[in-house]
Parts: sequence; structure tokens; C-alpha cells
Amino acid sequence: MPIGIPINPGRIDWSGENPGIMLKERADGPWSALALFFRIAWSPEGRGSALMLYERPDAPAGPPAANNLVITDNEPMARYLMRNFVGKFGVFGEAPAFRAMPYVPLTHAATHGDPRGHRYVETVSCAGVTVELVWEDLGPPTAIEIPPPLSGTGEHTMFSLLVEARRAAIIVNGRPLPGAPVPREQAGLKTTTAFLYFAESWIRAPFVT
Amino acid sequence: MAERVPINPGRVEWSGDNPGIYLKHAADGPFVTLSLFFRVVLSPHGRGTAMLILGAPEDARGWPHAPNAFITDNQQLGRYLIDAFVVNMPTFRGKAGLTAATFLPLTAASTLGDPRSRYTERVQSHDLVAEMTWDELGVPFAVEVNADQSATGTHEMYSVFVEAKAASVTLAGARFGGQVVNRQLFGRTISTAFLAFSETWVKPGR
Repeated sequence: MPIGIPINPGRIDWSGENPGIMLKERADGPWSALALFFRIAWSPEGRGSALMLYERPDAPAGPPAANNLVITDNEPMARYLMRNFVGKFGVFGEAPAFRAMPYVPLTHAATHGDPRGHRYVETVSCAGVTVELVWEDLGPPTAIEIPPPLSGTGEHTMFSLLVEARRAAIIVNGRPLPGAPVPREQAGLKTTTAFLYFAESWIRAPFVT
Repeated sequence: MAERVPINPGRVEWSGDNPGIYLKHAADGPFVTLSLFFRVVLSPHGRGTAMLILGAPEDARGWPHAPNAFITDNQQLGRYLIDAFVVNMPTFRGKAGLTAATFLPLTAASTLGDPRSRYTERVQSHDLVAEMTWDELGVPFAVEVNADQSATGTHEMYSVFVEAKAASVTLAGARFGGQVVNRQLFGRTISTAFLAFSETWVKPGR
């Protein structure tokens, strides 16, 4: 909860939404499919949307061998996010797919559903590929404030609004990718690997150079 | 410095973007134009977009008799935002135009520009077009306020603010009078035109 310093002295690196889905076919197995969606309101590279999809996280290849790609309407912004954030998010940055992803222009994006209801969907398309991210069985919203030691980069305080999903799917051109969300823990909160993150801001802690 | 608690135990009320523009003719005079934009991604009444324009804040009449209008695609959400939040904000408290503002259906909405320089939110209700434009935008900064520091006095609030040194509000092609002035907020001198992204209002849990 707020700690009584109305203005945070840190530098804003970006602010927006960052929901994701991480799927496994069995709890102790490898990741079978991963997706992160960004709707950025402010970044040093402007605003925009970007979907990062690993259809095959273990494959160091992009289309047509595997739909490992970034679909975006602002490539400089997407590259900034991948370089400075996703690349530092353990699972995402370490996957062989990360270095193989091409950046392709976004042709359509739409949001459906209600994050306080049963179902929420982000749909993103590029030439030849339509990706639907579907979150279902949604939990209550929780405001979180993750300090640098616990944040994905280790360098930022991260504010966000988490809505967990107990069921989720990544659907590519009408075909659901294999796997299901699994349990995970974030800053002591038991949650899942399918999450809506709204009102998310990454703030570089002033003591980190 | 107090220790940060990663999981806020409070109840989330709503979350989204909530930029505003408040204009005066003179720094020591009353506000002559008040406007707020809402892009709500989560609330007890679902998602939605809304723009509140009070071109005559002291006039107890709504559009088309006076330029006081609330254009939204989610009337229930709009009523909730006005009754539970805006009426409690010091700048809007007691304004006759707020009570009288005509609720109109939003038929189109678009965001234009770049939050690093010049940025516009535009909404339409059929042929009626309303625009809020922020200019000469500054460096973003994060605010996190306790209940006793927030505009409602009862909520904790997180947001990312971007201050604008100039701004304008138009309704039906007419630009309202007044200009941006400075005010004291959160212990800093901040202009009365601001983008506010990633804003979350939380009812304290204890």
C-alpha cells in the first residue's frame, strides 16, 4: 500500500497493461506455449500495442517453422520492451524462441469481455496470423507493489493490478496451443501463470544506476 | 521511510486512465472550464470510456442549454464515477454544472498524438464532438497517495502523471476560455492539465 511519499522519486520506464499466459502440459514439464501482451500508454518510444508469442518456446526459429514472433504497431517500442524487460524475465528471456522472433506489423487488435466477469479476451492479428488470448475463471483484482529485489528485472519497483485466471488459452488461427496454466507464487501471493496485469508501471529505483 | 507491502490488502474500486484539464482566466480566479477523461479497464460496472466537460461549472444547466455534458459508452459506470468519486474531488465539489451535466451516449472515441509531446482524447456522441488536448508535455512521474492525501479523502490512489504546460478543451467545435495555471499538489507545484495513466483507486483494507 502507499507508503506516504506522494511522488515516487524513481524514473518511469513504461506504463500500461501487460497480461500474459504461460502454459504447461504437465506441472513438472517444460513450458508448452507462452504469450505476453503489452498495451503501452507511455514509454520512451511512445505508445502502442505488442503481442509476444512463443508457439514453441524451445524452438530457435520464427515463422513458418514456428509462430514465435512479436506483432506490434510500434516496433521501436516493442524492441525497447524486449531488450530491457522481456529479455530479463527469466523464462521469457532464456527461451530459445526469444532470439528468433521476427517483428511483424499489427493489422488488428480488439478487447472483449470484462475483467470482473467470467471471461476476458485480447485478439491481435498480423498478416496470416490471428492470436486470441483468453482468460477465464477470473479472481478478484489485487493491487501489488513489487520492490526491485522481487521484480522481473531486479532493477525496478513495479506497480500493477493483478487479476488471476484459473483457466486460459492461447489460440492461434483458431487452434488452441497445448497446455494449461499452473500454480505460481508472486511476492508471497499464490496465483497462476495466467494473469491480467492492468495499470502497470515500471519505475527505475533511484539508487540503481 | 516506511516499508513497502507488496500485496495491498484493500479493495480495488476501479482502474484505468483519468487525465484532466482545469482552466482559469486568472490564477486567483475561479475555474471556468473543468474536464476529465476516463478510460476504465476494471470497475464494479465493467469497462468503459467517458468524458466529462463542464464549460460552465457554475451553471445548473446541461447540454444543449449550457456546455455541461458527460459522454459515455457505459451509463452505469459513468453514474458510479460521478457519484462516488468526482463529486468528492475538491475542484468539482459543489459545482452546479456537475449535477446538471447531461448524460449523452458515446458513439466513437479515439486517442491521437503522443504522450511525450502533444496528446488528444476525442469522443463523439453522434454529431457532437468533444476534445481534450494536452500540449508541452513533461516527464512522467509516479504518485502513490494515502487515503488522507487523495482527492476523495477515502481511497488510496496510484497513478502516473504527465504534466502539460498548455491545454485546450472543445465542444461542438467551440474552444472554451481559460488557461492552465499552477497549483500545489502532492507537495509539488503542478499545472492543472495532466495526463494520468495506470490509475488505480483502492479502498483501504484496514
